[in-house]
Amino acid sequence: MAKVTIDNQTFEFEGQEKLLQFCLDHGVDLPHFCYHPSMSAPANCRQCLVEVGMPQMNRETGQPNMDEDGNTVIQFMPKLQTSCSMQMSDGMVVKTHCSSETVKRAQKDTLEFLLINHPLDCPICDQAGHCPLQNQAYKHGPEGSRFEFEKVHKPKHIDLGPRVVLDGERCINCTRCIRFTREVSKSDQLTIIERGVKNYPMTPPGVEFDEPYSMNVIDICPVGALTSKDHRFKARIWEMSKTASISAVGAKGSNCDYWVKDNLILKVTPRTNMDVNEYWLADEERADYKRFNEDRPTSPTVSGADVSWDMAWKAAADCLKEVDGNRVLFLGSAYATVEDNYLLSRLAEAVGSSAPVYLPHVENGHGDDWLRTDDRTPNAQGCERLGIHAVSADDLKARLTSGEVDLLYVMEDDPVASGACSVADLEGIKVVLHHYNTTNATLPAADVALPAATAVETVGTYVNIDGHAQRLRPAKAIAGVNRTLSMEIGKCRADRHGTPFDKWYTESNLVNCHPGWVTIPSIAAELGTEMTYKGPKAIMEEVTASVLAFKGATYDAMGEMGVRLTEAGVTA
Amino acid sequence: MSKAGDWRNYQRVLLPPVKDLHKLEVYEANEGYAALRDVVTTDKWDPTSVTNEVKKSGLKGRGGAGFPTGLKWSFMPPVDPDIPRFLCCNGDESEPGTFKDRQLMEYNPHLVFEGMLIAAYAMSIKTTFLYIRGEFADWITLMEKELEKAYEKGFVGKNIMGSDFSCDIVIHKGAGAYICGEESSLMNSLEGKRAYPRIKPPFPAQKGVWGYPTTINNVETLACAPLIIRKGGEWFSGIGSEKHPGPVLYGISGHVNRPGVYEFPTGMLITDLIEEVAGGMRGGKQLKALIPGGSSTPILRADMIEGVTMDADSLREAGSMMGTSGMLIMDEDTDIVSWLRRITHFYHHESCGQCTPCREGTGWLENIVTRLDEGEGNLRDLDLLIDLCSQMEGRTVCALADAAAWPVRYTIDRFRSEFEGKCKKPSPVASAELATA
Repeated sequence: MAKVTIDNQTFEFEGQEKLLQFCLDHGVDLPHFCYHPSMSAPANCRQCLVEVGMPQMNRETGQPNMDEDGNTVIQFMPKLQTSCSMQMSDGMVVKTHCSSETVKRAQKDTLEFLLINHPLDCPICDQAGHCPLQNQAYKHGPEGSRFEFEKVHKPKHIDLGPRVVLDGERCINCTRCIRFTREVSKSDQLTIIERGVKNYPMTPPGVEFDEPYSMNVIDICPVGALTSKDHRFKARIWEMSKTASISAVGAKGSNCDYWVKDNLILKVTPRTNMDVNEYWLADEERADYKRFNEDRPTSPTVSGADVSWDMAWKAAADCLKEVDGNRVLFLGSAYATVEDNYLLSRLAEAVGSSAPVYLPHVENGHGDDWLRTDDRTPNAQGCERLGIHAVSADDLKARLTSGEVDLLYVMEDDPVASGACSVADLEGIKVVLHHYNTTNATLPAADVALPAATAVETVGTYVNIDGHAQRLRPAKAIAGVNRTLSMEIGKCRADRHGTPFDKWYTESNLVNCHPGWVTIPSIAAELGTEMTYKGPKAIMEEVTASVLAFKGATYDAMGEMGVRLTEAGVTA
Repeated sequence: MSKAGDWRNYQRVLLPPVKDLHKLEVYEANEGYAALRDVVTTDKWDPTSVTNEVKKSGLKGRGGAGFPTGLKWSFMPPVDPDIPRFLCCNGDESEPGTFKDRQLMEYNPHLVFEGMLIAAYAMSIKTTFLYIRGEFADWITLMEKELEKAYEKGFVGKNIMGSDFSCDIVIHKGAGAYICGEESSLMNSLEGKRAYPRIKPPFPAQKGVWGYPTTINNVETLACAPLIIRKGGEWFSGIGSEKHPGPVLYGISGHVNRPGVYEFPTGMLITDLIEEVAGGMRGGKQLKALIPGGSSTPILRADMIEGVTMDADSLREAGSMMGTSGMLIMDEDTDIVSWLRRITHFYHHESCGQCTPCREGTGWLENIVTRLDEGEGNLRDLDLLIDLCSQMEGRTVCALADAAAWPVRYTIDRFRSEFEGKCKKPSPVASAELATA
């Protein structure tokens, strides 16, 4: 196999690999700005320079020349090479900053150049704390600057589009954003304008940067030149905790990180998963966080009056006891997890009702064969695999108005807002509702209303449109949950090192709600049905063991990247 | 020793003294398009023999780098009828001190067309582009008019002169950026993209315009091709310097009595060019310095040019380069720091901004040289300038960073005392404090 020697360490490689990517994959931390694995390498930042040599070949024999000690003579290229564009070949010898003073100096020089016209406004920059320029300047940059002139001025706080703001002075012209719109999203909405040191990215005349994936340029920007109009100046990166979870806005289940401060979700960023969303996240998936923070219920209610959870569970159980099992309609939800839908099926079985159904939420023409889907729910696949099938709004309305239903049990959905029925239609029908928000239009008709934990507060599983089963992790705590004790919630410094006596410690914004896997077993217990699970992990173990379509999709198997399901279980 | 032989009796061939030569009928009457006719209509020539003749002539590129032209042509991959291939004629002449191609375009445009067509024949190319900088508006109009006439006559286009060789010439106006003269930038500009230079490899012969095999030659280089075909490679190689032969257009500017473009063999003594060709120094002043081939070539002091001839080898020995043979002559009154300030301003203005060292470095160089020129500089600035040059040279995609750094490096190196003279004097108080400290 072909061999390459990097800093006196020999690696084997196959195929047409580029040197920088190979180094990054093998733990050699080469600084770089313009290179991104998903796009072409323009080699314009000149930060990843290395020394590259090849064995010196004897022209007559065609064999490498040997020195007196029997070592191959290596001929180094006269100029430093950009590793991002350098194709590896057999016998190549590479010296990085770890073993070459020349390379170390070159990387320092490039950073000095990058910083002379950079505004160095880190104290007010959103990127500070997770800024590649900042990090690499600390690691590889010069101690100070020899630049004693006025910096170049360029346009600042320019709205490139409805969601992205440009600070031209911070830009280091890596062209990642330009290449994103050209090569990845193919919208071609950005280009570099001006020349030389005045260069900055801009939209062509009359064009707005409004493509549905525009905010990805904020993540790939190696400085704070492109910031989110929505999130800028809201929080510093180190004040927030980060939880690896998945997006709940569509059926793609894009992997993302939820950023939380004071128990409020403040932003959503993509998390790399090459099987699902690669490096990207649609703008709509990033915008989907306000509903987790706002209009949240404060207490369970019975007939509109606040009650304790015990009373609410008992009231729900009483409703179920009062009516005949086959006159109960259980409405599952494609917004709810596999675990919760499974428990709902078990509850339906326990009261002698038929299997639950769910309302699909499909918006034809919304999808784009990339991350956006026509299906606006995250778990329709999961419902189907559990044997919970879709019911159209019309069919649901017909059943509700036919008089055959005495009790409608709605888990985490809103049949009134979906147009399946009106509040008036539900008169004479008892309604038990698990709801996320006080804006739920079915709420006025609910006899028992049970606030439910949202996708960012619960533990569970969603199955995406391609049959990829993935884990949800709680990003924010709910009332009664201690952030620091929950193993799955991402922790920030305040969580790790803070105490309730610190002035920035807060217990505000803890929503008084419960996930389905707490509520449903509690109601079942009132009914005399035992549903004792240690938690959602145990529920999923039971699902994988009893439902063939989920075979193998345990929490351990799903991990952070999820598993691909087939009809017969997990693919090999 | 002059290598130009009997240059005083040299007969001009690139710009012969013929009135109205730019007109097709005049050009034709003066052996115009004879070489092309010979190549496309007779069995004497095939593409390989044309290339070999150019190789034999020893012609080296006149665009600055001096790469052997025949060798460059032979880099084109074998002909594949399904893959288009292109020739670009680089008329984006814009380096300070260089103004020779415009003479050819103004006074002998058909020689350029004929050269392009012969080169296209040698490389089996059906489409050629003539990229001219936009500031040359007048000559673009003139050339477009003349090209139309050549099309009408059947010298360009389908079945040239009744042969089975067809080739188009497309005149493309640049928007006036120095960087477009860099070959890979020129290709991007031609494609309608931002003129950022491309990384090499792949080289243009592998992946050029729109990803297809492409050769790029300078205007003057291609203008030599018809002469080589007409008079033979041997004739050409016999003109001027042995290793760098041929007629060459010397663009002489600056403090001489008769600045202008002069056609002479290569290998002319610099002193001959100044004293006899350009009529000596203006006002009888002393020569102080000169740039032999456009502003990016290293400056030479008056005492460095004794016996130096205008060819690659001699100039390399003297510590400079042939470049485009655009000679900038400066007399004793020239403020070399001010001159360098103007040059650094040019490169600052023209850096495309793609690569970090050039984008940031060119501006910084100008800042420091400006400060020095205004008498506000410090001695340490000189070392900083040299340091910055080292940080720029060889670290970018194209050679613009080198072209920007060399004038600074060599001017400081060769005129250091002038720079030191313009630096701020340490104040007596500060010196006294230093002494007692």
